[in-house]
Amino acid sequence: SGVWNFGSLLGLCLITQILTGVFLGMDYTSDISTGFSSVTHIWRDVNYGWLIRNLHGNGASFFFICIYMDIGRGLYYGSYLYKETWNIGVVLLLLVMMTAFVGYVVPWGQMSFWGGTVITNLLSGVPYMGDTLVQWIWGGFSVDNGTLTRFFGFHFLLAFVIGGGTVVHLLFLHETGSNNPGGVNSDGDKISFHPYFSYKDLLGFVIMLLGLTSLGVFSPNLVGDPENFTPGNPLVTPPHIQPEWYFLFGYGILRSIPNKVGGVLGLVFSILVLMVVAILHTSKQRGLTFRPVTQFLFWTLIGDMIILTWIGGMPVEHPYIIIGQIGSVLYFGLFLVLVPLGGWVEN
Amino acid sequence: MGRHFGDLAKIRHVITYSISPFEQRAFPNYFSKGIPNVWRRFKSSVFKVAPPMILMYLTYTWGNHVHEQGKRKNPADYEKDQ
Repeated sequence: SGVWNFGSLLGLCLITQILTGVFLGMDYTSDISTGFSSVTHIWRDVNYGWLIRNLHGNGASFFFICIYMDIGRGLYYGSYLYKETWNIGVVLLLLVMMTAFVGYVVPWGQMSFWGGTVITNLLSGVPYMGDTLVQWIWGGFSVDNGTLTRFFGFHFLLAFVIGGGTVVHLLFLHETGSNNPGGVNSDGDKISFHPYFSYKDLLGFVIMLLGLTSLGVFSPNLVGDPENFTPGNPLVTPPHIQPEWYFLFGYGILRSIPNKVGGVLGLVFSILVLMVVAILHTSKQRGLTFRPVTQFLFWTLIGDMIILTWIGGMPVEHPYIIIGQIGSVLYFGLFLVLVPLGGWVEN
Repeated sequence: MGRHFGDLAKIRHVITYSISPFEQRAFPNYFSKGIPNVWRRFKSSVFKVAPPMILMYLTYTWGNHVHEQGKRKNPADYEKDQ
């Protein structure tokens, strides 16, 4: 079905981000004295610089829309039983998150600086070597010029690491072929890539590019933070430090645990929990197509992630604290207890 | 690498029939059967999708309402004011 388009769409997203990113890199300067103004220069002076920057920033949002949809498809239809493909996919998710995080620091706006400061400080929770580790990452005693120059380098490099990971991801996928909505073996029912999937993928590309361009020209700042229109200032802390929308659910889980190390572990395990879903698969059926109990739990997970995304963007006050804590418990409870139980009941 | 046509699966005792695209309508019963089918698909999934989404919406509106209430002043704190 259409939800199988997100794999090829992710490939298109990566190519779009690399192309727009390379062009941005031609005029961007990774120094704290010129970084923010070089972005302004790109927007105002470089031919179609505004469009390239627009597509790159909003393209990151579409990257995450596609990756969350791809994971959702994998969870719903039991595609995770292709364990190698799935686990490399989780690694790709982590790489994309790292790339997006360092990439957000690059424009050196207020949220770039302070978001970078908050998240890099979390590494100080590592026992014994935490503080040394943080200063090593920073290249100094705070987020400063050393941090910006290396983060720009990491951002450029990681994009190509993702490309390599994508090749390995596809290598394993092509050993088995794709799953399908019925969750059944389809070896006896194959059709050629061209014209069926070439045109299907092309349609997906057109729809996504239409969405990206529409967002870019009609509402380019819809998902952005206004704080990032202010140059980064270590002497002025914004009242509400928050990441971009695609990280908010993890941010909500992080802040729900009233302990620094605990919060960091919650954030890390909110992604790594994906690696145990195959081990916890209890049903005799592969996907959820004929499993009503687990279908209900799947949609509960989707609702819970939307709640956690909302909570991640709210101040840490009542009743958002308790909602975030219940949402976090429910998130892990669904993966580790409820869904395996649902499969067992349905058997 | 991977599987290839001719080496995928052996299936026996299955007979398939097909009719030329020039001997049939391209989108038969598109509305007459299509619309009732959309309703059938909606009915079969609405009670699995809607309850979590409704619960999510209610949590959102309740949470914002309670937060707004918490920001209001408590009249009891100002009773002894002159």
